[in-house]
Amino acid sequence: MEAGTITGILDTTLALVFTWVAYKTGSYIYKYTPYSYPNARINAMEAKLLTEQRFNELAESRTLNNFIVSLEDTDYREYFTDVSEYSLEEVERGLERALAGTYTMMFNVLPKRVGPFFRLLLEEWDVRNIASVVKAKSLGEPASDYVIELGSMVPKVKAMAEAKSMEEILVILEGSPYEEPYQKLLLGEISLQEFETELYRMHYSKLLDYALSRKGEERVILEEFVRLKIDKLNILTLLRAKAAHMSAEEIRPLLINGGSLKLDSMLHVDDLSMALAELDGTKYGQVIRDVREEVEKDLSVLERTLEGHIVTRMNELTRFYPLSVATPLNYIVRKEREIRKLRAIAKLIADGMPAERIKGIVGGVA
Amino acid sequence: MDPIVYVSLGAALAAGLAGAASAFGVGVAGAAAAGVVAEDEKNFKNALILEGLPMTQSIYGLITLFLILLSAGIIGGGFKFTASTPDNIVKSAILLGAGLTVGLTGLSAIPQGVIASAGIGAVAKNPKTFTQGIIFAAMAETMAIFGLVGALIMIATGVGL
Repeated sequence: MEAGTITGILDTTLALVFTWVAYKTGSYIYKYTPYSYPNARINAMEAKLLTEQRFNELAESRTLNNFIVSLEDTDYREYFTDVSEYSLEEVERGLERALAGTYTMMFNVLPKRVGPFFRLLLEEWDVRNIASVVKAKSLGEPASDYVIELGSMVPKVKAMAEAKSMEEILVILEGSPYEEPYQKLLLGEISLQEFETELYRMHYSKLLDYALSRKGEERVILEEFVRLKIDKLNILTLLRAKAAHMSAEEIRPLLINGGSLKLDSMLHVDDLSMALAELDGTKYGQVIRDVREEVEKDLSVLERTLEGHIVTRMNELTRFYPLSVATPLNYIVRKEREIRKLRAIAKLIADGMPAERIKGIVGGVA
Repeated sequence: MDPIVYVSLGAALAAGLAGAASAFGVGVAGAAAAGVVAEDEKNFKNALILEGLPMTQSIYGLITLFLILLSAGIIGGGFKFTASTPDNIVKSAILLGAGLTVGLTGLSAIPQGVIASAGIGAVAKNPKTFTQGIIFAAMAETMAIFGLVGALIMIATGVGL
């Protein structure tokens, strides 16, 4: 063979090999390296989540003072440093700050292509706050008691709580995405329940749009997470409505679009028991099978079960995709659960409940 | 291309590709190590050991570089393949192939860094998984070792030291 032919073959082979290697290596690095730091850090944070034994110790605190002191050697310490009086409100605010801190941390350390999702998640607290304040105002209750200092529009929510009239709230909400549904509520076009549903619908639509705009495994994980959350809300709404003997037409406006579950057959059954039987035939059948009898008596059991299902599913996705957005999502759902338990313990301590009863109650808090 | 270009390219690719891959691998694992240490300083020792694993590929690259240069006579004498004869081109191409083999298999340092990074996170969560973490990361090393052995055979039998 001629020397020129040999070099020609070699040069072409080199060019092909290098193009392929450069493309594959580049996409591999783009996919995984941005998660290296945040996911390792989140894994280390997960190791510091409170254990059942620790919750039991906290339940034995007897006073809120002891409760806060017991949290001194945890990450909650920094959120209680400026606590002047050990009241339930102060403890709750400290815990809310801790949760807000977790969301902010996620937003700061995660890659830019998924970080904004956590800012959108934080907006769920805006929806909760607005719905609570508007409900409290309509019922003539002190709205500020229902404000949770979390979310992206806390000052506005506080101003809403202090508003003297329902019309003043409209002025405060002007320019925000929540203005339109509130206007409809004021005009009597929708009920209070429908207003709340509309807020959640807008929120979950934003989350789903964001999830669907991602690529590859990020899209798979975020989409599943959002659809699980929507399914949970829809199942609970539907079953509560069935327990209250509401018709399919009354329930339909209260459901949120975008879930993975087809609810038509469940909508048209007569009562809760039949709705649960329909649910048994869906992918959630396996989830509720063990608690079905308890659920018929108490729907809060189902809420905890579905919450637990989201945690389990995120845990599975974390194991399958260790360097992905599944790890922070898994941490967030666990952290939210931990804070719910701490709030419950603090409240029960403030109510003077004996330690043994607190342990029993908190053991059942999802 | 002249034989000197193939030989130089072979040596450069062996050390360059493997070295760059090691740098990426250590970088990925290092970022994870920084993350776990930021949360708890006790994670430092375990993270450091796992972070160092992707460095070995750069050593294989360096060994191959020396062997190629030695075999072609660039180290320890005059360059053996000055004339562009088919025999010299084939021999220099073998040296390029040896360098390329080590360079490309050295890319295993990048996934090794990713595995080590996941391992660092797992060890931070549960320190008992340290040994398993090392074994998982070390599996990626196998390809680099195969590459080095292949390159040694190519150099020794195709060109001679």
